Amino acid sequence: MNYALNTTTSRKTDGTGLMSAIKAFLPLLKDEKMKMVIAFIAILINSSMNLLAPVAVGYAIDTFIQSHDYDGVIKFSGLLFIMYAVSLVASYIQTKTMGGVGQRTLFNLRNAVFNKLQDLPVSFFNQNKAGDLISRINNDTDKLNQFFSHALLQFVNNAFMILGAGIFILYLNIRLGGATLLPAEALLVFTVAISGYVKRKNALSLESTGSMSSEIQESLNNFKVIVAFNRRDYFRKKFNEVNEKNYKASMQAGIVNTVFLLPLYGLISASAQLIVLALGIYLISIGQFSVGLLITFLTFVSRFYDPLRQIASLWAQFQVAVAAWDRITDILSMKTDLVVLPESKIVKHQPQGKLPNSILEFQNVHFGYTEGQEILHNVSLNLQYGKTYALVGPTGGGKTTTASLMARLYDPVEGTIFFNGKDIRSYKPAERTQKIGFILQEPFLFTGTVKDNILYGNEEYQNHTSEQLYEVLKKEQLEDLIVRFEKGLDTEVSGSGETISLGQKQLIAFIRAVLRKPELLILDEATANIDTVTEQLLEGILQKLPKTTTRVIIAHRLNTIENANEIFFVNSGQITRAGSFKHAVEMLMHGKRDS
Amino acid sequence: MKQAKKSEHESQQLPDKKSSTPGQGKTPKLKKGPSLIDLLVPYKKWIYILIFLSFVSNGLNLILPKLVANSIDNYQAGTFVLNTVILEFSAAAICVFAFAVLQSIVQNYTAEVVAKNLRQELAAKISRQSTEYIQQITPGRLLTNLTSDIDSIKQFVSLAVVSIVSSVVLIVGSSIMLLLIEWKLAIVVLTVIPIIGITFFVVLKKVRAFFGESRLVIDWLNKVINESILGAALIRVLNSQNKEHKKFLDANTKAKDIGLSILKLFAGLIPLITFVAGMANIAILLLGGYFVINNEMTLGGLAAFNSYLLIFIFPILILGFMSNIIAHASASYARVGEMISAEEKKDTGTITKKLHGDIDIKNITVNYGEKPVLKNVTLSIKSGKKTAIIGPTAAGKTQLLYLLVGLFNPNSGTIEYDGKNLNEYVKSSLHNQIGFVFQDSIIFNMSLRENIAFSDTVTDKDLKKAIDTAELQDFINALPDKLNTIVSERGTSLSGGQKQRIMLARALALNPKILLLDDFTARVDRQTEQKILNNIHKNYPDITLISVTQKISSVEHYDQIILLMEGEVLAAGKHQELLKTSPEYVQIHNSQQSTNHYELRS
Repeated sequence: MNYALNTTTSRKTDGTGLMSAIKAFLPLLKDEKMKMVIAFIAILINSSMNLLAPVAVGYAIDTFIQSHDYDGVIKFSGLLFIMYAVSLVASYIQTKTMGGVGQRTLFNLRNAVFNKLQDLPVSFFNQNKAGDLISRINNDTDKLNQFFSHALLQFVNNAFMILGAGIFILYLNIRLGGATLLPAEALLVFTVAISGYVKRKNALSLESTGSMSSEIQESLNNFKVIVAFNRRDYFRKKFNEVNEKNYKASMQAGIVNTVFLLPLYGLISASAQLIVLALGIYLISIGQFSVGLLITFLTFVSRFYDPLRQIASLWAQFQVAVAAWDRITDILSMKTDLVVLPESKIVKHQPQGKLPNSILEFQNVHFGYTEGQEILHNVSLNLQYGKTYALVGPTGGGKTTTASLMARLYDPVEGTIFFNGKDIRSYKPAERTQKIGFILQEPFLFTGTVKDNILYGNEEYQNHTSEQLYEVLKKEQLEDLIVRFEKGLDTEVSGSGETISLGQKQLIAFIRAVLRKPELLILDEATANIDTVTEQLLEGILQKLPKTTTRVIIAHRLNTIENANEIFFVNSGQITRAGSFKHAVEMLMHGKRDS
Repeated sequence: MKQAKKSEHESQQLPDKKSSTPGQGKTPKLKKGPSLIDLLVPYKKWIYILIFLSFVSNGLNLILPKLVANSIDNYQAGTFVLNTVILEFSAAAICVFAFAVLQSIVQNYTAEVVAKNLRQELAAKISRQSTEYIQQITPGRLLTNLTSDIDSIKQFVSLAVVSIVSSVVLIVGSSIMLLLIEWKLAIVVLTVIPIIGITFFVVLKKVRAFFGESRLVIDWLNKVINESILGAALIRVLNSQNKEHKKFLDANTKAKDIGLSILKLFAGLIPLITFVAGMANIAILLLGGYFVINNEMTLGGLAAFNSYLLIFIFPILILGFMSNIIAHASASYARVGEMISAEEKKDTGTITKKLHGDIDIKNITVNYGEKPVLKNVTLSIKSGKKTAIIGPTAAGKTQLLYLLVGLFNPNSGTIEYDGKNLNEYVKSSLHNQIGFVFQDSIIFNMSLRENIAFSDTVTDKDLKKAIDTAELQDFINALPDKLNTIVSERGTSLSGGQKQRIMLARALALNPKILLLDDFTARVDRQTEQKILNNIHKNYPDITLISVTQKISSVEHYDQIILLMEGEVLAAGKHQELLKTSPEYVQIHNSQQSTNHYELRS
């Protein structure tokens, strides 16, 4: 399955993408109907007040000021005051409600993206750069955030103003109104026409931000290599390259966002005013219009074109938001191919050979990470309860891949894996991961304490205090391992820090896995960086696991695997069973190899 | 260093604490950085052009309502000439357009150039810093500095400069116009400025506190996201997606709550200001109406008053919002400035001569937190000899190697190469002669050739020799694009052993005088390991080798084995000597004994 995000970006960037973007977006708003209705009513009231106020002013000028009736002016001022007060309340309600909708929608969106990320299999993370993913989730949702918290409200508000003003202009005088709106129509056509182009430029700009962030991420996390190999210039050079790219993309996006719009809208607005002025005076001269009405009309032209200009500036933000939304939907539209298969689809277990109580069985398994590049060819193997198996073989031979298939980090391309006699794909993740423990080759720690990391993902001891956990560890004879941390269980660790050694990370991973009491425990070079004395301690702990626990050990040190009941030799996609330890060593030392 | 670590932890925990006072986490120690204005000094030419352009386009904009008002008055006075009006109006409108276009181009260009140069300056600065410093500041923080902080500075340049200038022009200009038309009415209308100004000031002051808090929450949110991406495999193995989601939910909920608090403050602001503007409208109607009725003012003047009021309220709002952008940008620039002005360790070394290969480590002590990592370590390594360092997990082995290449500095003690202090050497010259194979696999997202010939001094011959020595030739030959194959960022397309061999080839490609191996054998199979070690012996005969390892059998014949435990040298000597003198060594040896007869055969 192809999970690579950036290969799919040359897609639907035309204007039609907009509607589908909005459509995809609607479900996020589904719980907000009530609020939206309230907000719309408030917007309606507010906009009508905003629109009526100048009419009232125009009317007052026409009827009272021109006829020198000052009492009327005072009365009308009272009316205006009431209108402004109503508008004050309505716009407060509107802002608060719509803003709330925006914040909650952003909250839902972030949750949706994060949940999706949690749904996706390991392959997805292998195929995409961490920096780019982080940029998508942090930077792109933030672009949406900006749109939601500032722009959306103004957008809706202005749209209403435009609509109201437009209707009013036409209502006041259909001929003059029609002429006034003409420039706006031309503008609309132009805007729609360049929409796709603008969005594309914005998408490119976001993409370049993503790759810049990947570049920084990669270089800074590996800084020690850059220093030790004298390549500080490498960081500078690589950074300057992406920086230059980002500069160009960002400038192009910025220019199309502003140049096409703001000045143009100003020009259009000015020409509308000119039309009103010329045509209005003509209409007055033939007695079809009044000066008071013309003043009102001119105010309305501003009432129509000012929000339009505002929308223009929001429109750029909107295009950025749509481009960001596209990048987010790239993730949201990904589907995991590691689903739990229903009973009907699973492959029934047909025992091969004579081993009845097998915990795990590979039947004719083929696997490759990318199409056409097969890593494992037609592998069959059978693991029994309570035994210890070792996978040995040259680097790049497929050991880690085999182990990953056992834990269902991937599915075979062909063939089936059975766990406890059932297709491994029929297990719910919770059950599968409870029963299959896998200590990964590259240990990873979350920021927190040693205790947090040991209890990570462990339901059983989740609420234990450090003292209680220590008792548990003592019972499991794991307490000696905790001594190696400066402050025991309460030692602070972080994912990227150098404060803790690789060996220590492996210890934490080991304790974590053992505490979960899996039926099948896979150790992928899990103790490679731990000293041999400590390793013996770990070996003892492994020996004391319940009788039925099956162990699969990948290691290069021979003494790590010498106690294995059976040894599999993994090389160039084939798995061969070694007759004895000696035989295995023989194969390892002198066997044919290609890696 | 310890202090910095501490404050970092504190700030990391901040979001959890209810009583967090935002912005206080790090700011107290902030040096008074340069202001945003200083940032713009080198670009003053562009800023002047920008100010000029926006001055002109906004000034012209102010003429338009006046033209309209004049036409109405002219019409009433019977002196209206349509063509003149159209001509004047069009000319003004087109000028406004032209200047506005120019202005947006210059505005974008300036902002992007400022951002690009600032990024480049910061990146160059970072590139000169020590690893220790990067670790201490954390890559995450630097990433934020290089991206979102500079973005908010860019926003300041692109929006704030022009907006402030044009707002001020519009406010002052329209005020003058108002005063010219009817000064008494104008004074009444102008009272809205202080009212709006004070409202903004009060609200924004409160909002800013929330902004600080929201930044911390966003950092927190990002950390959860980052760890969930980097730890993706582990999360799937443990099926702990729910736990991750809960963590995320906590942070996200907090973010939402802050967003809503900010909203609560802002929701009242705009309506209130619109209301105040409405009051000004009423004042115009009441007073203006009175003046017109008494013939102290023309009807056109009244119309113009209404138009100018609209022109004049909006920039006040803009100024208010800009004050926010300015606040954001100054905070960001302070952070960036802190990085740029941070002290950088100058390379004071002068020696560039070829190393002979003698290494003397004298009384080295390194403290990490409260616990010493290395205690008074003294070692002597002779040129061309092989030394092994063995010891339990967290004994300080890796730190010792880091010290040897100057990645970290000891708290006390010295390291000498050929009798000269490490600091007397030009670092780059030293690094070119010491090959370091790190324990963790670090593969860059570029071609294999670039990954191996990572240093720019590597010749094709050296590259070939390194590849052969690391037993990579077969692997490379099997690749479709050979040496030009791009390997992925976290090296996920390569096996652990392949990555480690690439790392070895990278170190050997320097044709080093000294080779440091950090647990190199851990992920390489026995057969390959043997071959590689033999290759090194054959191809690099004079090399001084220091190997951190767990396997005694591979180093039994070494010239010196050093047993390091809890930061102390427990024993040093040849294998046979240690077997006689060091019980700890014997214990380690015994732990590996059972399979030795197999390993010895090879």
